[in-house]
Amino acid sequence: MAKVSVLNVAVLENPSPFHSPFRFEISFECSEALADDLQWKIIYVGSAESEEFDQVLDSVLVGPVPAGRHMFVFQADAPNPALIPESDAVGVTVVLLTCTYLGQEFLRVGYYVNNEYPDPELRENPPPKPDFSQLQRNILASSPRVTRFHISWDGPPEPQGSPEPALGCAAAAKGLGLPGYVPGLLAENSMDCL
Amino acid sequence: MKLLKPTWVNHNGKPIFSVDIHPDGTKFATGGQGQDSGKVVIWNMSPVLQEDDEKDENIPKMLCQMDNHLACVNCVRWSNSGMYLASGGDDKLIMVWKRATYIGPSTVFGSSGKLANVEQWRCVSILRSHSGDVMDVAWSPHDAWLASCSVDNTVVIWNAVKFPEILATLRGHSGLVKGLTWDPVGKYIASQADDRSLKVWRTLDWQLETSITKPFDECGGTTHVLRLSWSPDGHYLVSAHAMNNSGPTAQIIEREGWKTNMDFVGHRKAVTVVKFNPKIFKKKQKNGSSAKPSCPYCCCAVGSKDRSLSVWLTCLKRPLVVIHELFDKSIMDISWTLNGLGILVCSMDGSVAFLDFSQDELGDPLSDEEKSRIHQSTYGKSLAIMTEAQLSTAVIENPEMLKYQRRQQQQQMDQKSVSSRETGSATSMAGVVNGESLEDIRKNLLKKQVETRTADGRRRITPLCIAQLDTGDFSTAFFNSIPLSGSLAGTMLSSHSSSQLLPVDSNTPNSFGPSKPSTEPVATASTRPVGDSVSKDSVNATSTPAASSPAVLTTPSKIEPMKAFDSRFTERSKATPGAPALTSATAASVERLKEQNLVKELRPRDLLDSSSDSDEKIHVTKSSSLSKRKLELEVETVEKKKKGRPRKDSRLMSVSLSVQSPAALTTEKDAVCLSVPAPTLKLPIPGPQRAFTLQVSSDPSMYIEVENEVMTVGGVKLSRLKCNREGKEWETVLTSRILTAAGSCDVICVACEKRMLSVFSACGRRLLPPILLPSPISTLHCTGSYVMALTAAATLSVWDVHRQMVVVKEESLHSILAGSDMTVSQILLTQHGIPVMNLSDGKAYCFSPSLSTWNLVSDKQDSLAQCADFRSSLPPQDAMLCSGPLAIVQGRASTSGRQAARLFSVPHVVQQETTLAFLENQVAAALTLQSSHEYRHWLLLYARYLVNEGFEYRLREICNDLLGPVHYSTGSQWESTVVGLRKRELLKELLPVIGQNLRFQRLFTECQEQLDILRDK
Repeated sequence: MAKVSVLNVAVLENPSPFHSPFRFEISFECSEALADDLQWKIIYVGSAESEEFDQVLDSVLVGPVPAGRHMFVFQADAPNPALIPESDAVGVTVVLLTCTYLGQEFLRVGYYVNNEYPDPELRENPPPKPDFSQLQRNILASSPRVTRFHISWDGPPEPQGSPEPALGCAAAAKGLGLPGYVPGLLAENSMDCL
Repeated sequence: MKLLKPTWVNHNGKPIFSVDIHPDGTKFATGGQGQDSGKVVIWNMSPVLQEDDEKDENIPKMLCQMDNHLACVNCVRWSNSGMYLASGGDDKLIMVWKRATYIGPSTVFGSSGKLANVEQWRCVSILRSHSGDVMDVAWSPHDAWLASCSVDNTVVIWNAVKFPEILATLRGHSGLVKGLTWDPVGKYIASQADDRSLKVWRTLDWQLETSITKPFDECGGTTHVLRLSWSPDGHYLVSAHAMNNSGPTAQIIEREGWKTNMDFVGHRKAVTVVKFNPKIFKKKQKNGSSAKPSCPYCCCAVGSKDRSLSVWLTCLKRPLVVIHELFDKSIMDISWTLNGLGILVCSMDGSVAFLDFSQDELGDPLSDEEKSRIHQSTYGKSLAIMTEAQLSTAVIENPEMLKYQRRQQQQQMDQKSVSSRETGSATSMAGVVNGESLEDIRKNLLKKQVETRTADGRRRITPLCIAQLDTGDFSTAFFNSIPLSGSLAGTMLSSHSSSQLLPVDSNTPNSFGPSKPSTEPVATASTRPVGDSVSKDSVNATSTPAASSPAVLTTPSKIEPMKAFDSRFTERSKATPGAPALTSATAASVERLKEQNLVKELRPRDLLDSSSDSDEKIHVTKSSSLSKRKLELEVETVEKKKKGRPRKDSRLMSVSLSVQSPAALTTEKDAVCLSVPAPTLKLPIPGPQRAFTLQVSSDPSMYIEVENEVMTVGGVKLSRLKCNREGKEWETVLTSRILTAAGSCDVICVACEKRMLSVFSACGRRLLPPILLPSPISTLHCTGSYVMALTAAATLSVWDVHRQMVVVKEESLHSILAGSDMTVSQILLTQHGIPVMNLSDGKAYCFSPSLSTWNLVSDKQDSLAQCADFRSSLPPQDAMLCSGPLAIVQGRASTSGRQAARLFSVPHVVQQETTLAFLENQVAAALTLQSSHEYRHWLLLYARYLVNEGFEYRLREICNDLLGPVHYSTGSQWESTVVGLRKRELLKELLPVIGQNLRFQRLFTECQEQLDILRDK
């Protein structure tokens, strides 16, 4: 059973100009004290076509986490427009909030984000090159998509193979980065709000 | 009889495998399949019982849902006390839930509904042992045990007082075990499995009593569950699916000789579930009928794969009622209300049905006393407490007593109303933290939250704690005063409007009367349309799910990418370039690898230490040997823990002989254990080591480092002693090599070569000139300002360094070790300087300085402890975990399992005597150990037992001693305190306990009056 469950995520200052930082107020509950920190990450999906355009806006450690209910605000800078394909700048995309423990992702909250020009004129005739200073970001805060993964809370399973000291890091990184290869790490449940 | 299908009780169309009504009748739980997980839901009972409540939007229907089970939930069961809910599922787990009272409502984040959890039920234990799906769970009578059965062919008995301890694993079935039931007097447990057998196990030794196979020979393993049931009078056990002449039956098995002569016949398909009504009934006396006393009988509901339900009375040859077509799929579970007049039935089709009977139909239920009288006459006395009902005839002689009893009742009422109010007020309660409203906190959260940078430059936020998790919020009401509020449910049942519950059109209304048992009451199919119409009506009432897809996102061109996005919501991210997680995780895993290596290195040593058996000991070894290398780590974790929960008192650290010094013991001297040849006792001595580290305490973090012969000054080799206490360090030098060291928060002592013992203060000041020991040191130990030295010649000394006094002077261990090959497995020095030796034969002795004797304080083989049963006198469970030297010496091994096992096998008088003897031993041992906390605990328990069992003389003696002479006289030997506790304060604590039994009202009055006189003086 998951030791940490998220009670609520409030999207602060929404909608807001494209360049203003993201702010999520996260409340969670922990059933027993955690030995390690939680790691939270905000990932901005630049384009639906490819994960290449994903941007990790920020990642923070959260700890120490004793048993109980806690909350914090996770603030991250706006995505770098230079890394977003021009064709995807305006319209719908996704921002993901993920939480990992001991290198294992156990929670993923996804929000649809709509970037559009509030100015009706610009909306009618969008400039050929997106004007990010005019764009407004609107996160569909009422409909989070929450996916929970079953992880081992006492530590990740042993990475396969014998890690040599020199290559150990790389091997371990791969093992953790591609959890699909590790048996038993399937989606615990996923829930749609729609 | 009335029938209702509350359509709002559903798992969104997913099957419901189990249903159970809470003992207080106010709620019920369902278990089954959820969205991609198992699901347990707790529902409010009143909307089922009363139409007004169903329509009232302010009355919640769903109280709580838990989707923590990873796979389908097969069984949910409330404990008899109603405090816990156990659930078992396909994820091989059993979860035990308890209600958290002071946390407000919450939703499952991201779930569709706006349905808040009105009550908070939190998983307090996860029981892992089964290697396959858990099919059924059952609480024993009195909640001492929890049994679970699984497709792994086993039944596991858990110690319900001390989860997750396993008392027994019952092996013997060769097929999937699909049902369990306890004998109502707790002597047996029965299980039914796909291996075509029903097995009865004894709770005394958890061995097989009998295996019944004949009625199951023709059975195929096609039912999902086989929930069997034991009748409340204990006489009959009724199986699920059995066969008789190739027809499906429910086999009746008699307790007497396990005879299988009768069965319930009539279902067209396999019987999945049998459930006895908890009440025993007797025939309703009608006016004019003969007053001939009729035999009490039981009532039983049978559910089957043929989707029909039958209800039987053991006094009738035909079923009382049969309801066909109640569901679309097989019936999975049945639960009776505690008053015996209602049943909830659930089905694989995902719906539940509620049946409501009247007393005219079933008969008059026997009261609890009548029921326990039946049990007593058949099986002997089962519970020794005087029930409140028996007391009600006594006359209260004293206004004080009356007041006291009233107050108690008031308290109970208050507690009840508080708990009922909590539901409503929890929101506001949770909204305020430390007098600050949640809104205020939220406004300033970003500014206020503490953000630091880790060593590698990453941001780290310390989250703001907005609510503590409750750990023990048991009411302080005494054990035997918990009321069973079955009557509450009764009134609710009888008062509800009949318009909601639709009377089933049974062909012959008379057939319910016991006078015409020959008519066959078969309900026609008319029930189903009726049920349907109900469902249609209530669809309007239930909130239609918001069918709004995100309106903001209606740009048509983006529909395709949306699909692409969808996968992103649920798939775990691949390695995002530059994600810092990877590096950190790698670092962490490397760190872990290192640690593992360390642990591996340690193993051989651990093996050497096999003489001792306590876990604590191993922990000490590891931490002390590791501490050097992971000091920083240690400090950090300690800090973390500090904030989490209060650490237990570390001053009482038990240290095992073989481990005590991290310096390797001279193992060549055959001394892993202290094997002691009879005539001359010789204990192992630690050999000199170049350097070693010893952790003294973890909170405050304190450790000693010793480096022998580090420097040479003018031809003299010096050894260095370093002590670090929460970062502050001091060091000193000694001229001879240090063999072993010990410390407490007050003193540090080291034993050197040449039998020298030096003592330093916490800040490094030498307190005494070196002490010359009579023989080489074997073990050194410190607690508080006491220093204990055990020499190789098996003599023991304890000094109080601060007062510079001897407590124990060179006392030989001869008397406790002589004559056998026993070894000392553990040494303990209490805060009061009393040494305790745990021996390898399970006995523990403490040395009483005042008597100059070794006293036996604990014996693992003590048969008294095993026979004693004082659960009825225990305060609510959590309080019984009383910590102190006695608990450490005796181990926390709860004997409740064994106690309860003996409960029915030992005559009550013997039981009483052993329990008394055991409790008296405990009180005396705690006294000798000068452990005030434990003394108080055991004394109160003892007194409560005396009160419950009615032992006046002993009780009076205790009271007299505690009270002392009211009028002061010089000749009095009376001490006003005992182990630091004021006796009269103890007596005040005792009074409410005495006041519980009206029989002792005179004693109560006497003590009360004399205490008043004393107070006025």
